[in-house]
Amino acid sequence: MINIKLNVNGKDYDLEIEEDLRLIDLLRDRLGFTGTKEGCGEGECGACTVILEGKTVNSCLLLAIQAHGKEITTIEGIGKEDDLHPIQESFLENGAVQCGYCIPGMVLSAKALLDKNKNPTRKDIREAISGNLCRCTGYEKIVDSIEKASKILQQRGSESHEQL
Amino acid sequence: MKKRGKGIAVSFYGTGYGNGFPDVSTATIRLEDEGKISISVGATEVGQGAKTVLSQIGSEVLGIEIEDIVLINEDTSKTPDSGTAAASRQTYNTGNAVKIAMESFRKKLFEESKELLGLNTSIGLETKNKEVYLKMFPQKKTTFKEIAQKLKKQKRRLEATESFTAQTTEMDPETGQGAPYWPYTFNCYGVEVEVDTETGKVDIIRALCAQDVGRAMNPTMIEGQIDGGFAMGAGYALFEDLGLKEGRIKNNKFSKYIIPTALDLPEIEKFIIEDPESTGPFGAKGIGEPVMIPVAPAILNAIYNAVGVRILELPATPEKILQAIKSYGKV
Repeated sequence: MINIKLNVNGKDYDLEIEEDLRLIDLLRDRLGFTGTKEGCGEGECGACTVILEGKTVNSCLLLAIQAHGKEITTIEGIGKEDDLHPIQESFLENGAVQCGYCIPGMVLSAKALLDKNKNPTRKDIREAISGNLCRCTGYEKIVDSIEKASKILQQRGSESHEQL
Repeated sequence: MKKRGKGIAVSFYGTGYGNGFPDVSTATIRLEDEGKISISVGATEVGQGAKTVLSQIGSEVLGIEIEDIVLINEDTSKTPDSGTAAASRQTYNTGNAVKIAMESFRKKLFEESKELLGLNTSIGLETKNKEVYLKMFPQKKTTFKEIAQKLKKQKRRLEATESFTAQTTEMDPETGQGAPYWPYTFNCYGVEVEVDTETGKVDIIRALCAQDVGRAMNPTMIEGQIDGGFAMGAGYALFEDLGLKEGRIKNNKFSKYIIPTALDLPEIEKFIIEDPESTGPFGAKGIGEPVMIPVAPAILNAIYNAVGVRILELPATPEKILQAIKSYGKV
């Protein structure tokens, strides 16, 4: 057993864990963030994507120890059911979700992209979600949704700028 | 060298079980306590949008908002059988069951309204905004909630259950002739590809998909089905190979069984063709499987158009294409 400290969705945790515990198991089983989905378990499908220090990672490929002292965002940290993030609203509005299993990972990949690149091209968006496999949607409505969310976020950004 | 080519393919597909097999969907409609309307169907939602479309059909018949519908499905202890979410049949078959059951329910609702309003007959009654009113004298009206409260006091329930059976005939076992399905869905897809003659790699650079839908119940979801079908068809044509060896799947993980990513697909231009089907709910037909079918033949035709080789075994991998180009001695 080993002690680690980490911050998930803005909250600090001090935990004792097994050395070989995977990050996804820590998030799902210990902390209850079950919005993070396990797909292939070998870093190919991206369903388990979370944001670690601003970068997307496959939480099935990381040991929990590797998150020691770091900040993590899961889908639960993006928005709540009655207070959705613009990316989530856009996914709902534009028909981006079919079975839904890949969607938490898709939203987090989109978030990591838009945090760095406020005005991405469709090619940039496709690149950003190319590590997230989807069997249902053909990705197009997801790309549409991320593009529209970027416009909404830009507009809100310029509005809050005006208020200042 | 990179060579471009265009290909098209058309398909028609019979939805439902077909071939004389009994294809039945059943729906139960009920007036709930607060004046909401519940639809119980054993239709499974797997992301294709059955819950949305069935709620839309039900709300359209009664002239109510989709929020006033409570859809109960995927619980066999509470729902009648509506068949499988397969054969592209839920919109047409269960959609019809919901429509017929809702029409039957509306008749019963009008009978209750007639009693409550002290009318001679239910003729001329209409529904709108969860109210039942007399068309010729709209002040004469009651609400779904009032009717529900009256029924609750009397310890009665207002409900209607109806089934829809699709018309299919068995083919002649000797000749294979007949009309096994109804209805059929049609489509036509066109793609443009770029083939690298040195590596054999195929890029799909343009896709146009024209899909007959009967009537478009929900255009956004139809587009989503076309996008998804195109991606599945493209994977089938170019990448996906189980690699069966002595009954075992060799490519049993995503690192070996390759499905398209967002970067492998072009922007898909979609054309929804509406030609209402007289036996469909408000004219709608199923499209779930049809959207996938013309993709692979269109891609293979485009490869032929680009480099003059016919690929006869899927997937059309770079190795196979290079081999074919060599043995044809072309390009």
